[in-house]
Amino acid sequence: MSLIIKDIHKYFDGYAALEKINLTIENKEFVCLLGPSGCGKTTLLRIIAGLLDCDTGKILLDDKDLIDVPARDRGFGIVFQSYSLFPHMTIDENIGYGLKIRNVPKEEIEPRIKELLDIVRLSDYSGRYPNQLSGGQQQRVAIARALAVSPSLLLLDEPLSALDATVRAELRKEIRDVQQRLNIPTLMVTHDQEEALSMSDKIVCMSKGRIMQIGSPQELYLKPKNKFVADFMGHGNMLSNQLIKQSFPELAQLCSEETEAQELFVRPECVKLHKTEKPEAKVLSLQFLGNIQRAEVEWRNHLFLTESHSNEALAVGELVNVSIDPQHCNWMAL
Amino acid sequence: MKSITLNPTKSIDYHINKWSLWIPLLVLIAFFGLPMLSIIWHSFLDDRSGQFGFSNYLTVFNMNGVWKATFNSIMLSVVTTLITLFFAFIVAYGVECTRMPGKRVISSIITLPIIAPSLVLGLGLIFILGRNGIIGNIFSLRLNIYGFWGLLIANVLYALPQAILIIRTSLKNADARQYEAANVLGANGWCQFKDITLADAKYGILSAAFVVFTITITDFGNAIVIGGDFSVLATEIYSQVNGQMKFGMGAVIGIMLLIPAATAIWIERSASKRREKIGVSSVVPYDPAPNRTRDISFFIITSLIALCVLSVILTVVMVSFIKLWPYNLSFTLSHYAIDLDGGYSSLWNSILISLMAAIFGTMSLFFLTFGVRRHTGRGKGLAILLSSLPVGVPGLVLGLSYVFSFNTADLPWGILYGSAILIAICNYYHYHTQSYTTMMTGMRNVPSSLDDATQVLGGGALHVLRDVYLSAMRLTLVSVALFIFMRSMVSLSAIIFLVSPTLPLGAFTIMRLDEAGLTSQAAAFSTCIMAIVSLMALLLHYVTNKRRKFTQ
Repeated sequence: MSLIIKDIHKYFDGYAALEKINLTIENKEFVCLLGPSGCGKTTLLRIIAGLLDCDTGKILLDDKDLIDVPARDRGFGIVFQSYSLFPHMTIDENIGYGLKIRNVPKEEIEPRIKELLDIVRLSDYSGRYPNQLSGGQQQRVAIARALAVSPSLLLLDEPLSALDATVRAELRKEIRDVQQRLNIPTLMVTHDQEEALSMSDKIVCMSKGRIMQIGSPQELYLKPKNKFVADFMGHGNMLSNQLIKQSFPELAQLCSEETEAQELFVRPECVKLHKTEKPEAKVLSLQFLGNIQRAEVEWRNHLFLTESHSNEALAVGELVNVSIDPQHCNWMAL
Repeated sequence: MKSITLNPTKSIDYHINKWSLWIPLLVLIAFFGLPMLSIIWHSFLDDRSGQFGFSNYLTVFNMNGVWKATFNSIMLSVVTTLITLFFAFIVAYGVECTRMPGKRVISSIITLPIIAPSLVLGLGLIFILGRNGIIGNIFSLRLNIYGFWGLLIANVLYALPQAILIIRTSLKNADARQYEAANVLGANGWCQFKDITLADAKYGILSAAFVVFTITITDFGNAIVIGGDFSVLATEIYSQVNGQMKFGMGAVIGIMLLIPAATAIWIERSASKRREKIGVSSVVPYDPAPNRTRDISFFIITSLIALCVLSVILTVVMVSFIKLWPYNLSFTLSHYAIDLDGGYSSLWNSILISLMAAIFGTMSLFFLTFGVRRHTGRGKGLAILLSSLPVGVPGLVLGLSYVFSFNTADLPWGILYGSAILIAICNYYHYHTQSYTTMMTGMRNVPSSLDDATQVLGGGALHVLRDVYLSAMRLTLVSVALFIFMRSMVSLSAIIFLVSPTLPLGAFTIMRLDEAGLTSQAAAFSTCIMAIVSLMALLLHYVTNKRRKFTQ
């Protein structure tokens, strides 16, 4: 199965919530819609789910256009941030709900519920009501409920945002495991770049209703195509063309085109500090972050942000040398 | 997050959403919108010639009595508002911002007038301070409570609980952090009261003022029982229509009554809109520190207010069991044998009609709010606007508008006139706005993601209706039904023009017993109504507590 989204536009009162959205979700793929709040990622998810109309565009599921198919007939599964379980039904009834309204016979529903409770590791909680479970457990029930109908696509709308940090990390891994085990194509909305990096096969980074870049987690992190993606995925250094030509001639050769309007983007951990002879750079400040330390270094009137292991001894005011690994930097058009 | 639902124009779900909005909306238009238009229309039709024009208005403006009644109504309402606000603020402040003992008992006693038809307060005052009242009898005085003073006291007592409720809500929003900050900044008690407490409660006080003003200027029950020669607009409209059959004049006075009430509500609405903008999202509740002098003084003052309310209500109950108040105080049940034609049948009528109003009202509100929430096409704005209006229409005016619309030989409307169904509908639409607000709040508390999830799981509008909204709102439905039932049991003004000799109602019977001089029987009948309504109030209290626990 594959889901192809073609040229979707959506306007709210004349303002463009989504523009020129093109995207493909392949079979077995875990895709993340990543972006700051208000970037249109939830709007896009709701359009794909069928909960919202789009103004133009197509949604093709194996060449079948879904635009006129209402949400109830699309056969997808959805999980929201707020669990949204039926409070007056037991978790078994919640999980079996989609099957029940499809008039699946009872004898088939029961073993399916059992199977799903096993998958989300809640077999011991059968028969309880949602308010007797913790947030993480409720979210697992919501996932099982979405999976019960064997959806052709699983939609996750910030499913982990309401949970505690530890539960979140645990469930992150679990969702990914279940997704890979059952091979369900999945689309998740999140604003947390770490979550997107750790879970997805493919990240779709969005801003102001447009897609800024689509790629693997590694591509988006190390080879961002534009400043927005570079900033959104983490800290970094933007080095001007001039500075590179003067100070790192070997990196300048990597630049494919000879335009001035390019800058080199380097992640802080790819800027290395050495205590060799003739040190020219000076450590201005130092931030201890547990396993790593972040240093601001001044070199040839330019400020570098670097990150290194905390066990490397560094002190403010210390003089060091700077080098950049050519493999982990990326020329970016301005 | 945007939560606009899909508009699957061709699907059956679209039609379910659409008609669950439009059916109740059409009924609302038929039984509220059109009658309101017809009262305006009839105010332009001359009573004698039937010609269209301003003749009714000219006649009314040339009548001395009307100007006097207008002046009296406005003066009475302004004075009642000022006095009520003063006491209501004291009680609300005592309950919310001090550590006085007995908060719960005192505040529930002061709410008692809500369970009775407003005229019961007038009745109670007559038993205490009237010509044959207990006070006059003990001190051998000939007191005259009828008129301005009696009306003033009765109206203050009647409006007090509603004003307290509003002011308490605004004081409840007090944020402890503001007081802590003020303390750290060195502000003294008076500064804190002035700049934090009063500033916070400002809009609450304003909105309470308008509510009290509206209740007073449109109150009918007390005006007729204790008003005496002091004529007000509400009694004027009654005598024009019921006494002299001048319907056009009644319509003009009705519209005059509509103006101050509607203005008050409009100002209150625009003020509360401003309030929402500066509202704080999360609040650390303010827990006042004990202060002996303050707590005890508030306890004494609020206890005295509660005592006044209690003595008036209790007197009515007591009188109903006493042979000849205040001369022969021996116990009797004889007053419970109602002499009037029909006896208790009017009480049963009231219960039946209130049940009908509650069931019909709750159902129609549920579907209306469901439609408002889910329907994406036209009609939503109209439903919201039209639902906010009934609160501004005095019962008398609504009742009169029903006479214009339904007292006709034309079918289908004519068939309803004089029937219990029409009275039930009138009672419900009289309190439509308040019930709509409660129902809408209940709807908003249902997470929209549950609605979405049900759709994606394959559920249609009927599944969503049953499994999401109906099951999450069971307690809201019960409390709305109880509210409509209670109001319908005690309201008099809306039905005064609709009751017929064949279909008398409870509150109306009290009025007739009082007019006939059978005051002790009026007290007995009032006691019966209060007993039934307080039972419902207890049930409502139980349900709201349960709902609060459920939502937490």
